[in-house]
Amino acid sequence: MRSKKALVGLLAPPLLWLVVAYLGALFAIFATALFTTDPFTNEVVRTLTTENIKALFDPTYLRIIGRTILIAVAVTVLCIVIAVPFAFFMARVAPARIRGLLVAAVLVPLWASYLVKAYAWRTVLQPNGVLDSTFGTTPGFGLAAVVLTLTYLWLPYMILPVYAGFERLPVSHLEASADLGARGLATFRRVVLPSLLPSIAAGTIFTFSLSLGDYIAVQIVGGKLQVLGTAVLQNITLDLPFAAALGTASVVIMVAYLLAVRRTGALDNL
Amino acid sequence: MRLGLGGKLGFGVFAAVVLAFIYVPIGVVTINSFNSDRTFGWPPPGFTTEWWSAALQAPGPRDALLTSVKAGLGATALALVLGSLLALALTRYEFFGKHAISILVVLPIALPGIVTGIALQSVIANVLDPVFGINAGLFTIIVGHATFCIVVVFNNVTARLRRAGASLEAASADLGARPFMTFRLVTFPLLRSAVLAGALLAFALSFDEIVVTTFTAGPGTPTLPIWIFNNLFRPNQAPVVNVVAVILVAISILPVWLAQRLGGSTAAESRL
Repeated sequence: MRSKKALVGLLAPPLLWLVVAYLGALFAIFATALFTTDPFTNEVVRTLTTENIKALFDPTYLRIIGRTILIAVAVTVLCIVIAVPFAFFMARVAPARIRGLLVAAVLVPLWASYLVKAYAWRTVLQPNGVLDSTFGTTPGFGLAAVVLTLTYLWLPYMILPVYAGFERLPVSHLEASADLGARGLATFRRVVLPSLLPSIAAGTIFTFSLSLGDYIAVQIVGGKLQVLGTAVLQNITLDLPFAAALGTASVVIMVAYLLAVRRTGALDNL
Repeated sequence: MRLGLGGKLGFGVFAAVVLAFIYVPIGVVTINSFNSDRTFGWPPPGFTTEWWSAALQAPGPRDALLTSVKAGLGATALALVLGSLLALALTRYEFFGKHAISILVVLPIALPGIVTGIALQSVIANVLDPVFGINAGLFTIIVGHATFCIVVVFNNVTARLRRAGASLEAASADLGARPFMTFRLVTFPLLRSAVLAGALLAFALSFDEIVVTTFTAGPGTPTLPIWIFNNLFRPNQAPVVNVVAVILVAISILPVWLAQRLGGSTAAESRL
């Protein structure tokens, strides 16, 4: 079973697909970022230029990139703040018999259509909607609505790895810490948090990358808010090379983030 | 960490609030599908089943559903073959570049969908259309979806292969079975439920995808998510969109239930 021929037979079809159909297309679009467009026909002209990359550092686009990162960070922090106590409740406080039910309760919305969930927030946030008529106020469509909706969308992606992390944490560690005189908060800070860090970091990969690339939810609840994704979208037909440059910027940010998080051992926790 | 009754109660209340946060929006959409107000004023001034009968008769969502199912089946079939082959190669063989390949598989879902989308779109415009005469349509949707569905099949099959070890296959070979016979009688039965769980996940992923689809679907072949998105901002379509949304939520319970039966909770969680 272990001949070279068999290995080539196994590898050739999937690699052909991934390298030709996917990597080829990806590198073509990275290369496009270095091309320019004909001002009259909007066709891509293949002369090398760094203009598009330079344009990314224009204050308008720096602000958009900054705002996108800010949204991704805010969503990630909110998800951590909600997920850690909730996962703690699931794994350590709730009686064992409702634990399975809680996991299912978190999983079902994860499977519900992305679009439906974003749309649901639109009807909750709209003027005259649930928030407005129940509490007399709504944040409306904009930055706050986007952060709220994205937090909602990606929350299960944070709860599940953190829950798994709590499950792996031996009860004896917590008891030892309490026996040695640590109060609840000290135990949390010095025992729970350090051993939970890889799981939290794994969760942030989802919350950060999914928020960074999103443009659909932004269109649904963001009003006129501009983020990297919407900026890419607006440039596709008129200036594909610049759209490609913006897309490349989001890939670079994501790869930098992955490299930074890799040191916590998060990638083995995915 | 020993929690007093007060602490336990505090966490319980917090968890209840989080669950409410998770379920209230979905509940609102469900109630709104019966809201007699076209613009979903809250609280609903009255209730009606008008939107449900309108949605069930509208041809738009039905055609889109059909496209979605076709695209999902096509992408799943491709992902099953490619993902399983890759998993077998990476778990049962040692070779140079193994690590790079395991990262390559994850890339299509790790990188922003819009980048994958415009990359595939320009391949369609610059290569597929002029050279092969293939336009954006069902075929290109399937190609795009298969690319990111490979990883879920790959993950499921890899996990099963690692757990099962290679000893059974070695025993089969020792007993004189040729490689193909070993695969048919030993490896495949071992993998069957993992392959099924992977297929389910791949189909669900494809069924819900909107970003890459936006760039690979032609104007004539909207999938269900594309149809919803196109009609989301049309006021007179809003009630029908809302009903379709409720139906989708109801359908989404199915894969969680099926996946849990097939492969334990790990299958449902491997959507992550």
